[in-house]
Amino acid sequence: MSAVFEIHNLAKFNWEAGAQGESRYLFSRISAEITKPERVALIGASGQGKSTLLRILALLDIPDEGDLLLNGASFKNSNPREWRMAVAYVAQQAVMLPGSIEDNLRTISRLHGQPYDAALGAQLMEQLGLDHLDLAKKAEDCSGGEKQRISLIRTLLLRPSILLLDEATASLDIDSTRKVEALLMNRHKEEGTTLIWVTHDLEQAHRISNRTWVIDKGGMQEYSSAAFFDQPVGGAVHS
Amino acid sequence: MTLTALSFTLLFVMGTMLVSIWQKLGLEKDIAVGTIRSAIQLLAVGYVLQFIFQAEHMIYVVLIIVFMIGVASWNAAKRGKGLPGLVWRIAVAILAMELLMMGILLGLHIIKATPQYIIPISGMTIGSAMVVSGLFINHLKHEMQQNKGEIETLLSLGATAQQAMQKVRARAVKFSMIPTIDGMKTVGLVQLPGMMTGMIIAGADPVIAVRYQILIVFSFTASAAITSMLLSMLIYRLFFTADLRLKLPGNVD
Ligand SMILES: Nc1ncnc2c1ncn2[C@@H]1O[C@H](COP(=O)(O)OP(=O)(O)OP(=O)(O)O)[C@@H](O)[C@H]1O
Ligand SMILES: [Mg+2]
Repeated sequence: MSAVFEIHNLAKFNWEAGAQGESRYLFSRISAEITKPERVALIGASGQGKSTLLRILALLDIPDEGDLLLNGASFKNSNPREWRMAVAYVAQQAVMLPGSIEDNLRTISRLHGQPYDAALGAQLMEQLGLDHLDLAKKAEDCSGGEKQRISLIRTLLLRPSILLLDEATASLDIDSTRKVEALLMNRHKEEGTTLIWVTHDLEQAHRISNRTWVIDKGGMQEYSSAAFFDQPVGGAVHS
Repeated sequence: MTLTALSFTLLFVMGTMLVSIWQKLGLEKDIAVGTIRSAIQLLAVGYVLQFIFQAEHMIYVVLIIVFMIGVASWNAAKRGKGLPGLVWRIAVAILAMELLMMGILLGLHIIKATPQYIIPISGMTIGSAMVVSGLFINHLKHEMQQNKGEIETLLSLGATAQQAMQKVRARAVKFSMIPTIDGMKTVGLVQLPGMMTGMIIAGADPVIAVRYQILIVFSFTASAAITSMLLSMLIYRLFFTADLRLKLPGNVD
């Protein structure tokens, strides 16, 4: 299921505004439009506000200026729960909910009263190389990389039309990273899921994206990934 | 006990103040203020109760209970700075608890419907409800701060405020009841409760005093459970904005 998603002149004030040399905005005048299923790489140096932007897109944080539209409806007139189910955020720091791995996987079905698709859960676990894990194991006892993949699967079971991935492979080895990429690319192809993927790995960005958003100096530029990665534009990206 | 005899107990207070000055604890002022306040409050209450018992009019009973709930709510709400509208929510929880308790105690003729029974028993349950409310709010704030990742994760998966708070709420309710439950387990073994001690000193048969103490202990447990569960229902929404984002009160102690 694809969605039309528009970002209009979005801005977030800087907390530290007023201090020496600090600008008023963390970022401002950010605009973009997604009209068909896309794969977006969101890149930029640490502290530029990539996570903050994704959190705003998922309505976990509020923009100070500008508007967001999902299928033509502004976030101001939308039900935040429905919005978050369509535009789902997978956090940079994976948080396991209390209970077992299975309890975590069942979260969506529990929250929304849907039957739990155990077969799909098992399939996703296998695709991400987690099939060796005992589902009854306490989720909190899993390794960092396992938690990251479990939290991704937990969100995938929601079947969002836009998936906001905050460094989804940051604590994974190459093999698991490739598995996550393959799974998400497949999701995109099969179900038309839009991916907005924050990454510091430019090769990964190149592999997975067709568009690239570069967030730098409080603004955001948009490029076609093909053009961007064939001739990198300046130092911003490499810093 | 004569007033002269009573005034000799001030020696305890003076001794403590001297120790405080000698050891430079800096507590003299608080002790002095505390002593004067508690003496005035208790003496005043004595006269108020005397008046009410003589007046034999239920309106005074209602007034004094309303006053107790007001003070208790205001006091417990101090634990939750940064949460607007907390006082009246606590008041509603305690009031509901009080009505329920008195409904049962009076309805089943467990106690007599006279001010001599209603006021002290209400006072004690309201006091315990105040402590429970304070603990609950304090712990809820702490839990919220500790588990904001968990709550935001649930929100990002489309949870309602209620769903996102469920675990945290349950933990805070449980925590707020621990002292009451522990107290119930050791009552009489470690300390003789104040009311029972008072009755025995005043000449009552210890077995009768114990019966009333059992009544109080059970009432405390029920009132703790009722108050903190009601309160949790009334305040969880305060931690979210209208558009369902997490909103934590600034300072947590
Ligand atoms: N209003 C604001 N909201 C969020 N962060 C703000 C705000 N104002 C200033 N900041 C600061 O801006 C930075 C934003 O961090 P954020 O996590 O969004 O960056 P990031 O681009 O995801 O970095 P990283 O690559 O390290 O994950 C933080 O240092 C934060 O303290
Ligand atoms: Mg980040």
